[in-house]
Amino acid sequence: MEFLSQINIALRGPTGQPQSASDTIARLADRLSPSTLLADRRAAVLALKGLSRDCKAEVGQLTLPGLLDVLQNDAEVDADIGKAVLETLIVLCEVDENAPAAARELGYKHTDVVLADDKIAHKLFALMADHSFYLRYSALQFLSVLLQNRRQVVQNYFLKAPVGVTSLIALLEDKREIIRNEAIFTIQSLISQSPEIQKIMAFEGAFEKLFNMIVGEQGLEGGVVVQDALTCIDGLLRFNQSNQSYFRGSSLPPVLLSLVGFPPNLPFNTPAPQQFALQLWDVPQKRANVSLVVGLIGLLGRQAGPPDGLSIACTRCLTEFGLASNAPTNIKTQALRLVPANVSALPLAEMVVTPYVPVPDTNGEEWDRLEPASALDALVELILHGEYNNIIDGERRTKDGMELRGAALGIFQNFVQKEEISEAIVQAMVSQPGSQAPVTPLLYALTTVPVSPLNIPSVTSTHFATLLFAHLLRASPRAKLTARSIVPQASAQGGGGGGGAFFVPADGDAPPPADDEAEADEPQTLLQILSEHLSLAFLTRARTDLPDKEAREWDRLCVGYLCLLIQWLWEDPAAVREFLEAGALGVLVEPINQTAEEDAMIPGLCAFLLGVIYEFNREPGEVTRSTIHPILTRLGIDVLSGRIVHLRDDERFRAVGPDNFVAASPSTHVPPHHPHQGPPAAGQTKAEVEEGEIWFDWAFVDFWKSNYYTIQKGITVDPNSLSSAAGQESAILIASLRDVIRGQAAEIEKLQTQLKALTNASSETEALRAQVASLAEQLQSSDQKKREVEKEQEDLLVLLDELNSKRRRDKERMRQANMDVSEDEDDDDDEDDDEE
Amino acid sequence: MAGVAWHYVLKFIITGDAAVGKSSLLIRLTDQRFLANPDPTLGVEFGSKLITIPEENKVVKLQCWDTAGTESFRSITRSYYRGAAGCLLVYDVTSRQSFVNVRSWLQDVREHADPHLTCILVGNKIDLCTDDPNAPAPKRKREVTTEEGELWAQEEGLLFLEASAKSGENVEAAFERATRDILEKVRRGVFDDDRSPGVKLSKPSSGVALDEQAKGGCC
Repeated sequence: MEFLSQINIALRGPTGQPQSASDTIARLADRLSPSTLLADRRAAVLALKGLSRDCKAEVGQLTLPGLLDVLQNDAEVDADIGKAVLETLIVLCEVDENAPAAARELGYKHTDVVLADDKIAHKLFALMADHSFYLRYSALQFLSVLLQNRRQVVQNYFLKAPVGVTSLIALLEDKREIIRNEAIFTIQSLISQSPEIQKIMAFEGAFEKLFNMIVGEQGLEGGVVVQDALTCIDGLLRFNQSNQSYFRGSSLPPVLLSLVGFPPNLPFNTPAPQQFALQLWDVPQKRANVSLVVGLIGLLGRQAGPPDGLSIACTRCLTEFGLASNAPTNIKTQALRLVPANVSALPLAEMVVTPYVPVPDTNGEEWDRLEPASALDALVELILHGEYNNIIDGERRTKDGMELRGAALGIFQNFVQKEEISEAIVQAMVSQPGSQAPVTPLLYALTTVPVSPLNIPSVTSTHFATLLFAHLLRASPRAKLTARSIVPQASAQGGGGGGGAFFVPADGDAPPPADDEAEADEPQTLLQILSEHLSLAFLTRARTDLPDKEAREWDRLCVGYLCLLIQWLWEDPAAVREFLEAGALGVLVEPINQTAEEDAMIPGLCAFLLGVIYEFNREPGEVTRSTIHPILTRLGIDVLSGRIVHLRDDERFRAVGPDNFVAASPSTHVPPHHPHQGPPAAGQTKAEVEEGEIWFDWAFVDFWKSNYYTIQKGITVDPNSLSSAAGQESAILIASLRDVIRGQAAEIEKLQTQLKALTNASSETEALRAQVASLAEQLQSSDQKKREVEKEQEDLLVLLDELNSKRRRDKERMRQANMDVSEDEDDDDDEDDDEE
Repeated sequence: MAGVAWHYVLKFIITGDAAVGKSSLLIRLTDQRFLANPDPTLGVEFGSKLITIPEENKVVKLQCWDTAGTESFRSITRSYYRGAAGCLLVYDVTSRQSFVNVRSWLQDVREHADPHLTCILVGNKIDLCTDDPNAPAPKRKREVTTEEGELWAQEEGLLFLEASAKSGENVEAAFERATRDILEKVRRGVFDDDRSPGVKLSKPSSGVALDEQAKGGCC
């Protein structure tokens, strides 16, 4: 700062009077002119740098053009002046988000002056290749400031700069970390929303250089620079189809997978290695890095068209992460959410995973490997019983844990989109004659008898089971048909505890006590059991001595049963009849009749279910539409209709969105509960873990929104009218069209086989034709040969004839000459003659 | 994913006037289909293809950047010239103008690209002026003869082929011919070290390795 005072002294006029700041600045501005000595200009710039912070406006107004000239002319000559001028310009253009509007405006104004044409921007790109550390560094910094203020302008200049990209990319290999890291940071904002820059970056090898850097920084164990590099890669890929195809075709995706320890060429029938499944997660930076890589893997797994090797490997990696690793819960959730929606193309049921659970009281250092299970089983297990079978969270429902189960539920929903799959799963729950179907975990959880006091993990499993089952039935009439014949074995209800289907000893989840009366009766169907449990839940809920918290859990159970039943009975008259015969009507009427002001949810659902029953009660039975109608009238059509509509206003219903499933539990300050000093959670021993709960899933909300109007109309219609609302008609129409399509598909198939047969036949004909042609040719040639032979023979005969006559003449002459002539030859001759 | 193996990665650019069929040539190369009514390319599009050069016993990965022919993108597409090892200079044999303009494209390439870049002149759309009597009457007349194209290519030291993205004729051949030329240059040691970013040697043994820097010549 000494020079500053010197300059100030020098600048003081002869009178020695102190000058105002603007006078000083004006004088300094004069000194920037190229006619002065370089040393003077350097001093002036340094002085201005000192003043720029306090007198931003004046310095900017008076000296900006001069400073820019200095940058143009002197920076490369003299690194010191270059650094100083860049630093001054940074101060002038910087915009502090927290500053008052006027100050921010100033920064933008200066930026606009700097970017008035492309000269300065191009100069900066050139300076990035300069050898001086400070010049490179300050040029990069200034560029980021400009990018922050006027991104698009800089981007346009950049695209047209002759060497911009190359020198910027080269900085990624700079040995000096500071420069390299600053370059990554600048690239991040430079590529933002500019596909053209993203592409040229890829062309210049940005991917390769970034990956080299990540690998050089110990991969994902590396620091924040790895995170920045991964963010850059994400930015280059996320919305850029062209770069994605470049990246997919390069040798980098395998590197990406090996970064998280997943072998890229792992054969499908080989389990994932333990060093992938069990990793150390203590370093928070690693979690951030892995989360970015998981995002990238998800991007590569998503592939339009038939899945290729890469997208299958990516999807498998995501699934393994979610189902069979010790990754932090939020990373598992992220991985499962990214599993592509066309998962039914992947053999989830055949894929084998090896889940791990933490050994209690080892603080996450020891893990038990469980028996290999199919990914589908592991998925269902995760949904029903939570991460690691809930041994860490115990009674608590952590928000993270619920999010994870929700993500898994999403995969299940996508998986059973195909009717054959959902049907096969339901079919597996039906007992074949002569043998008993095994009690699947899903069926077990679904039919667990609720007993007071409720145990939270058990309620949660039952609730998730209703959601799973609803996914199986919702879109498939055939699955509904099959589901009606499910007769769960008594052991399921009796709480006989972990059958063979449980591959985890159920320790967090105490089996409910046996239900004796159910066992006494003849086996009930699933639908009957559900209706019974619903009624049981209503009865218990109606007790006045229940604590609020438990009442809430009973509500949750009711909601689960009701939502499942609504979706099951929809468009299924046979199921409606069975449900009615189980005495459902009485069960439903009671809650609707309550004057429940405080809670619109359960009455709304009951009213809706009643409407569904009325609408689809189309089979002859004990309880007909005419029996139900008076009940509807007594309850009041308007009241019912109002109840249905009110559900829409319920907060728990409204909060559900396609990606938004888990709600925070309201003010349940449960004292921190550590059944076992559990692993990952133990790393961040926070007393307050946010809890979460679920009520509805989006699939139901969506279903309800598309159909409630039909039901609202339906309940107003006379019992004898055949079909109430337009919705019904369109449903019938859709059903008939579906039949038509099915018929057509069959026909197409038939025609295709015919076509194949015909093609075969025609190829045969072709072969025969060829044969005919070749035979004809052969015939022709042999004909010709025969003709030639005949001709030759004729010639020979003529010759013979001539010889014969000559011999005869000779013999005659010999005889006349009294020479001895053989007789027999005469005979021969005669014979010959005869012959001729 | 096994067997992602190639010996070289070569960067190609495709340039030439708008609507001469650059994108169609690329799609024909990568997807073996004809892009009937493509939208004009905006900026640059990417495509890649593995080809084998049997006599060198080398598998080569072609990374092709198909550039926009429209004038407004010219400054953007120029940025790609520098890093390329090969260039397809395309004109339309039924458009005199596109052939005339090829000169300015070549000038651009010469100005910005590596001096050792291999350039092949490709006259596209020969299917439009086929001599086949069975074909429907040619829709458009040929305006640049084969001889003329060949002569000019010779003068400028370019390789030359006529091709059709529609029929697929000579499309792969054009890329192959250029690739052979580049490999020949590699053998002669023209692309010695990382002077040209357009040629990269890759470890053929493992698909996992990053693209190595071309290590002192080949083999």
